[in-house]
Amino acid sequence: MTGRAVANEFAKMRRLRTAPALIALVLGVTVLTCGTALSSPGFTDSAGDASPHSWRVLLGSMGIAVPLVSPVLIAVMASRQVDIEHRGNGWTLAHASGVAPGALCRAKFASTGALVAAAVLAHSGLVVAFGRLVGITAPVPAGPWLGYTAWVTVVGLALLALHLLLAAWVPNQLVGLGIAVMGVFAALSSAGMPDRLAFLLPPWGYYGPAVPVGYRDGALVALTPPHLAALLLAAGAGALFLSATRRFDRQEA
Amino acid sequence: MGSVRAELLKLKRSSSWAVVVALPLAAVASGAGNTVLAGEPLTDGWHTLWMRVVVVYGLFPLATGVAVLGSLVWRADHRGGNRNALMGRPVSALEAVVGKLAAVAVLAAAMQAVLTAGVVAAGKAVFGLPGPLPGQYLLISVLIVVVCLPVAALQSGLSMLMESFAAPVAVGLAGSVGGLLLVLLRFDAVSLAVPYGLTARATQVGTGAFMDAGTVTVGTLASMAVWALVSTVLVTVATAALLDRRDAG
Repeated sequence: MTGRAVANEFAKMRRLRTAPALIALVLGVTVLTCGTALSSPGFTDSAGDASPHSWRVLLGSMGIAVPLVSPVLIAVMASRQVDIEHRGNGWTLAHASGVAPGALCRAKFASTGALVAAAVLAHSGLVVAFGRLVGITAPVPAGPWLGYTAWVTVVGLALLALHLLLAAWVPNQLVGLGIAVMGVFAALSSAGMPDRLAFLLPPWGYYGPAVPVGYRDGALVALTPPHLAALLLAAGAGALFLSATRRFDRQEA
Repeated sequence: MGSVRAELLKLKRSSSWAVVVALPLAAVASGAGNTVLAGEPLTDGWHTLWMRVVVVYGLFPLATGVAVLGSLVWRADHRGGNRNALMGRPVSALEAVVGKLAAVAVLAAAMQAVLTAGVVAAGKAVFGLPGPLPGQYLLISVLIVVVCLPVAALQSGLSMLMESFAAPVAVGLAGSVGGLLLVLLRFDAVSLAVPYGLTARATQVGTGAFMDAGTVTVGTLASMAVWALVSTVLVTVATAALLDRRDAG
């Protein structure tokens, strides 16, 4: 994979309306998180307290908004980025230019993945800014916040890799988007499942255990997510993506 | 009627059945599965089960599912010379647009039938609930199909304008998020006026969730249905006018 192939993918995005999808991802998660938090009883009342309750409400709300919005929009970005190759016979063109189909997929992952990671950082930062704006005086729980942001980035990148492969294998976009919508159920359900069960539905099932807050006996308390699972997901998804794209490299375009 | 029949024929070769069956069954499995895993009993029998399955389904997946179906019915017409074949027939643009809407409406109705059947099956087989599903939920199921019409008309229009399969689905998702926000922030009148908010509100009728009063009245059902039909007509006429202009260009 060369830098030129990655730069080429960024150039393709101009006509693919990737920017609106990316903005929808950032704003969708931010606005839904803020809306869910504002509708939570006691959120604004406790903003002036020294207790971390309001930040926990925001983290919990992000735990609802992220799995609702991200899977479908990441699938849309992946699907559009690959669909142009099917439509314009770009696989053959790229192969003739020295970029094999697998390398093209890796270039798509590097370019779109950078944007997905930036989007996660952006919505995470915007939610902190919102917390400050509504007057939360307690310090931001930096550890859980950064941990959750990193975890969501890993799941988002795993989803992106999966949808890039799906779109490359199956030209019918219905398959990728249908799976993405179904994945939202898995992502939302994973919040109420024991972690071991949720991990059976990768990568969507990893959204639930990532949330570092939860209700115990009616109170919103801090939890410690099993961070090792996120590392294993990153390693597993990375290995699968690399091996699948290497197989693409050996195939006729 | 020719256009409607032609669109229904095209559906035979599409994979629309996968969305129609899988999406509502995933909603039932998710609602019933969470109830079993959490060990929370269905305190109010069928009503609790309906709320756990259908309210969540209406908040987001329903409108996004209709968006996928809208993209699906226009998919073939964006390929090769099929758009010319569609517009080259001796029928008006309005008839062509109504044909597309009818196809999405039939699929949305089938999706609701699968959802209702899934709730009944889960209620009986998993939770052993006594008696049949209360009749009011059959009436609400009909209402849900009717409120899907404006979303179907809007999404069909977007899929007509956008060649991409995925882009209208992204717009549908954004609409769902907007509808969900209106419900969460209790913007009563606006949520009823906007198609994506209306689907969310219709799935909440009788459950007492969010802004719902918890009672089912003929007035509530009729007012939602009438507004849904009026907005469907408005969107369909606008879409047909747009198709006419673009075709002439």
